[in-house]
Amino acid sequence: MTAPTAATAPAAVATAPAAVAARGPVLLRRVARRAVHAVAVLLGSATAAFLAQQALPGDRATAILNTRSGQSGLRTAQELAPVVAQYHLDWPVWRQYADYVLGLLHGDLGRSYQEFRPVRDIIADQFGATLTLTLTAIALAWVISVGWVTATAGRSGPFRAVGEFVDTVTAGIPHYWLGIVLLLVFAQWLGWFPVIGGTGPDGLALPALTLAVPLAGFLGQATRSAFERTLDQPFVLSARLRGLGDGRVRMRHVLRHAVLPGVTLSGWALGATIAGAVVVETVFTRPGIGKVLVTAVGSQDLPVVTGVVVVITAVYVVANLLVDLAYVRIDPRLGDR
Amino acid sequence: MSRSRSAGSTAVSAAVLAMVLAACGGRAEGAAGTPAGPEQRVTGGTVVYAHQQEPPCVFGGWIEQAYLSQQVLDALTSLDDKGVAQPWLAQKWSVSPDNLTWTFTLKPGVTFTDGTPLDADAVAYNIDYWTKGGNSTASVWLGGYYSKATAVDARTVQIQLSRPYPRLPETVSQGYFGIQSKKALQTRSKEDNCTDPIGSGAFVIQKWTRGQDIVLLRNDHWTSWPAVATHQGPATIEKLDWKFVPDPTTRVAALRAGEVAAIYDVPAVEWKPLAAQGFAEQNYVTRGRPVQLSFNTRLGPFTDERVRQAFAWSLDRKAIVTTIGQGHVPYEGNGPVSRSTVGYSQKAADSYHLDPAKANALLDAAGWTGRDGDGYRTKGGQTLQVVLPYGAGSIVNTDGASILQGVQQQAKATGFKVKLIPVSLSELFAGKYSTPPERDIQVGYWTAVTAGILYVNWRPGTDGKPSPWNDAYYDSPELWKTILAGNSALSLDEQNGYYRQAQDFIAEHALSIGLYDRLSSLAIGPKLKGVRQEQAQGGPIFSDAYLVK
Amino acid sequence: MTATTTAPAPAAAPAGRRPRRRARPATGVLLAVPALLLAAVAALAPSTIARYDPTAMDFAAALQGPSWAHWLGTDESGRDLYSRIVHGTLPALSIGLGAAALAIVSALVLGTAAALGGRVLGGVVAWVIEILFSFPTLLLALLLVAVLGPSAAVSAVAIGVGSAPGYARIVRGQVLSARGSGYVEAATVLGHARARILARHVLPNAVRPLVGIFTLAVAQSVVWASGLAFLGLGVAPPSSEWGALLDAGRPYITTAPWLTLVPGLVITLLALAVTTAGRHLQRFVEKEGS
Repeated sequence: MTAPTAATAPAAVATAPAAVAARGPVLLRRVARRAVHAVAVLLGSATAAFLAQQALPGDRATAILNTRSGQSGLRTAQELAPVVAQYHLDWPVWRQYADYVLGLLHGDLGRSYQEFRPVRDIIADQFGATLTLTLTAIALAWVISVGWVTATAGRSGPFRAVGEFVDTVTAGIPHYWLGIVLLLVFAQWLGWFPVIGGTGPDGLALPALTLAVPLAGFLGQATRSAFERTLDQPFVLSARLRGLGDGRVRMRHVLRHAVLPGVTLSGWALGATIAGAVVVETVFTRPGIGKVLVTAVGSQDLPVVTGVVVVITAVYVVANLLVDLAYVRIDPRLGDR
Repeated sequence: MSRSRSAGSTAVSAAVLAMVLAACGGRAEGAAGTPAGPEQRVTGGTVVYAHQQEPPCVFGGWIEQAYLSQQVLDALTSLDDKGVAQPWLAQKWSVSPDNLTWTFTLKPGVTFTDGTPLDADAVAYNIDYWTKGGNSTASVWLGGYYSKATAVDARTVQIQLSRPYPRLPETVSQGYFGIQSKKALQTRSKEDNCTDPIGSGAFVIQKWTRGQDIVLLRNDHWTSWPAVATHQGPATIEKLDWKFVPDPTTRVAALRAGEVAAIYDVPAVEWKPLAAQGFAEQNYVTRGRPVQLSFNTRLGPFTDERVRQAFAWSLDRKAIVTTIGQGHVPYEGNGPVSRSTVGYSQKAADSYHLDPAKANALLDAAGWTGRDGDGYRTKGGQTLQVVLPYGAGSIVNTDGASILQGVQQQAKATGFKVKLIPVSLSELFAGKYSTPPERDIQVGYWTAVTAGILYVNWRPGTDGKPSPWNDAYYDSPELWKTILAGNSALSLDEQNGYYRQAQDFIAEHALSIGLYDRLSSLAIGPKLKGVRQEQAQGGPIFSDAYLVK
Repeated sequence: MTATTTAPAPAAAPAGRRPRRRARPATGVLLAVPALLLAAVAALAPSTIARYDPTAMDFAAALQGPSWAHWLGTDESGRDLYSRIVHGTLPALSIGLGAAALAIVSALVLGTAAALGGRVLGGVVAWVIEILFSFPTLLLALLLVAVLGPSAAVSAVAIGVGSAPGYARIVRGQVLSARGSGYVEAATVLGHARARILARHVLPNAVRPLVGIFTLAVAQSVVWASGLAFLGLGVAPPSSEWGALLDAGRPYITTAPWLTLVPGLVITLLALAVTTAGRHLQRFVEKEGS
C-alpha cells in the first residue's frame, strides 16, 4: 500500500458547498441518502462475495471434506451427502443467494470450510486485535503527520524541502519492507520490543508504527498543501500583525483548516489500514483477522475470505459515513463565522 | 531551493545506505546460554511452545493431529528408541498360533477425564470407530487386515485379523491410534470431539484460540504413563501453551528472545547458530517413506524406464541436500524407505549418483535427441517437460522448496525442463495434481513405524484405476507379491529380507528416488528440561518435562 | 480540480514567493530518470548488466555476504543476488505495468461511462464503481486470488481490478468537471458535434491532470504485486520477481539479512523513482497544456 487514491477528497469537497447552501432538512435528507447509498454498497459487496464463493473451481463438497479429514482423494456420494446438506450445495443458486443475504442480515456469515465453526465466531475472535492495531496506527499517524507538518510546512530552505521529501518517501515505503526493517532493528538487534507481540501494548508498538509511518506520509502530503495554502490567507496575516507568535499562529489558527483533507482521508485510511494490517500481522505474527484472511486465501476457505471482506467493507462504509458527517461539523467554512 | 532539496535528499540517502550496510555487517545477538550455577527444578509453571502447523481438529489422520492428540490421548503401546513396542495402556500382549488373533491386556484402574473407565469395551469401540471413518490414516494401516475387536472381559481386548500382521503392536503406537472416551464419541457433537477430544492423557485441553494457540492443562489424575516415560506420575508442568507460529524466522526469533521455551522444525540455517548459542536441540529422523520423488509411470515421458533412470543420473542429490540443508538435513538416496527404518536397503540408496554421461546416453537411446532454443531436449517436436507440483509450506518446507529448485537446475543440464508448481494445502487436499495427466513427478513423505509403508505406497490399483496412495501409478504383481510376503513374514529377518528386495526392485526400475529424510527437530531453551520426542513419529512429549530456575 | 494528495506541488507553490524558474531540472528528476533507465535496461536486456545466470547455483558459495565476486551476496543455493534482482525486474515490472494498464483502461472506460452515460447507464456504472471502491484494494485482490489461485497473471488481474475503482472515481470527477468547463460551453455554442467536443475538449482536459496519478498507479501496482508474492500468494519460485525474492529471503533474515532487505529497498526506490518522475511529468504536461 503506497499512495492512496485521493478520490474521497474530491468527493467530500464537492459535497461541502452543497451543505453550505441550506442546513436542517437538507442535511437530514443528505444523511438519509448517504445511508441508503451505504446499504446499497454493502448489498453489492455481499453479492460480489457470494459470487466469489460460487466461482471456486472444482467440487466444493470434495474440497471441504478433504480439508477437514486431512486426506485427499475421491469421495463417494455417501460421504459427500452430509457436507452437501450442511452447506446447502444442492440448492439452486438464487436460493443459496437469498439464504446468504438473509443470513448476513442476522449476522450469519456462513461456516468455514476448514473448521466446524461459524465464520462470525472466527472473525469475532480476532477482530478486536486488528481494530486496536488499526486505530492505534491511525492515531499515531495523525500525531506524527500533524507534528511534522506543523513544524516544517511553509518554512523556507532545507526544512521545507526535507519535510516534503520525507512525506513522499515515507508514503511510498511498502509495509512489508518497513515491518521487516523495524523488526530486525528494534526487536531482534536492540531488543526494545518483543518479537512475537501478542496483544499487550508492547507488542502493539512496532506493528502500529509500521502502519503509521506510510499513512503519516500521506496525511502529511494532504495536510501540508492545505497548511501552506492557509498560511497565505489574509486572516493569518492579520493574526501575525496582532503579534501572535509563529507557533501559536500555526497551532491555533492554521491547523484547524489544514486538517480538513486529512479528516476526509481518514475514512479511506481506516479501510486501507485494515488492509495493511493483513501484511503487518503476517510480518509480526500478531493475532488478528489479517492472519485469518491470508490463511483462508491460501487454503481457499472462501466463506472466511468473503466474511472478512464483507466485515471490513462494512466498517469502511460506516467509517466513511461518519467522516462525511464529521466533516460538515468540522469545516469552519460551514460553521458560524 | 534546489540545493537544499538535494542536501536533504543526500542526507536521507546516506542514512538509508548506512542502514543497509549495517544490516549486511550486523549479526543477530540473542538471549541464550545455559544458566550459571546448579539448576533448580520447578514444580508447576507454564511452558510456552511454538509449533508450526495448525490442524483443523485435535484428532485426525494428519501427522499434525497425531502430535497434538498424543498430549491428551493415550495409546496401547509406545516405541522405545530402538523401535520396539513397549507397554502403555496395554501391559502385555500376545498373538495366537495362527497369527490372526491378538490379545491385549490393559492396565487396570485407568479412567478418562470424563469419569468413564478405560476398559476393553472402550478400546474395542475405538478400534471399530477408526476403521469406520473415525481416523483415515488408522484405517489405511489396518485396512485389509482388521476384522473385528471384542472385549473378552474388562481388561482384555481381542483383535481379530483376516491376515497375519506381525507388527501390529508397533503400528498402534502412533498418535492416530489414541483412545478416546466411548461416551464422548457417542454423545458429544462432532465439533466438540474435534476441538476437545476426551482421553486419559497427561493433559486436557483448556482453550483453543484458532490461529493463535491451544492451551492444555495438566491432568492431575493421570495414572497411565508409558513404560518409556522418564519419570513416574502426572506431568510436572501445570500448563502447556502450544502456539502456532507457521513462520520459521519468527519461531527462531521468539526462542532467542526467550519468549518461548521450545520450538519445532528448526530451519537448517539456524541449526548450528542455535547450538553455538547454547540451545539444546533434538532431532528425529522420521521412519517410513522419506521425502522422495516418484515418477509417473502411467502417462508422459517417465513411462520409459530409461528416461526415469536418466533423471536419476542427472542429479547430484547429495550435494544439493548437504548445501541447502547446511549439513543438518540428512540426504536420503533410497526412495521408498528412510534410513532410520528397520529393513532399510543401503543398496537401493546407493543406486544412483551424478553421472551426466550415463544420463545423456540414456536419453539419446530413448529418442530424445533434439534440442530446442533453450537447450531442452525434444522428441518429435515435443519438449521434455516434466511437471513437479509440491505442497509448499505444508509437505515441503522452505528448505525443501530450495532443494527442489536445485533438482530443477541440475536436471536442466541434461535437458529436462522441470516445471515446479507450489500447491496450497487446500488444493492438495482437494485432490489437485493427483491424477496421472496432471503431474510427472510427485514429491512427498509418509511416516510409518516399519518398512511396511511399502504396503501403502506400492499397492496396485483396482479395476484399472490407480490406487490413490501409489504415487508412481505403478502396478506390478511381482513387486506386490514381495511386499505381501514381507508383511506376513513371521520372523523379523525374513520380513526385512522381503522388504529390501522390494526396495531394490524399486531402485532398479527408478520408480522412486530419495531426496532427504523428514526431520522432526526441536530447539529448547535453557529453562526447560525433560522434553523428549516420541519414537513413532517424532512428536514432542511434555509429560516428562520440567522447568528450571 | 488538479490538486491531489500525491501531486501537491502545483497547488503548494504559494503565490507571491520566489518564482520557480530553474536553470536546470530538479534533483528529483536527475535521480529518478537514470534510475528508471537502469530499470528499463534491467528489464529488457538483463544479461548486459547481470553478471551471472540468475538460476545458476554454486554450492560452494552459498549464503555469502556482499563481496567483489558477488556484489550483493548469494542465497542458500549460491545464486547471485544482484543477478537475480536484475533478472527479476522484468517480471516485477510486467506484473506492475500489466496491473496498472488494466486499472487505467478500466478506470477510463468506467469513469467516462459513469460521467457521460446519462441518468440510467451513468447511474448504474457509478453505483458499481462505488461498490467496488468500498473494498480496499488489497482485499479485493485477495478475494480474486482466493478464487483463481495464485500466479503471476492472477496477481496482475487482481491488483488491476482492485485498484481500478479508485481511479475510476477520479476519472469520473475529472470528466464531469471538464464537461462543465468553459471550453465545452463555447464549443457547444459554436455548434460543434458532440463527439468532436468529447474527443477534442472533454477527454484530453479530463485526462491531462491524471498523468501523475497514472504513473503513481504503476508504482503502486509494483509494490502491491510484490506484496502478494511476499504473502506467498503471487509468483512462484524460483522466479526472481522481487516479491518472491523477499519471501525467499525471510528464513535467512538473521544469518543473511541482505537477501530480504535489498530486494525490498529496490522495490521502494523504484516506486519512489516512478512517483517522482510522474510528479514532474505532471507538471510538465500541465505547463504544456495551459
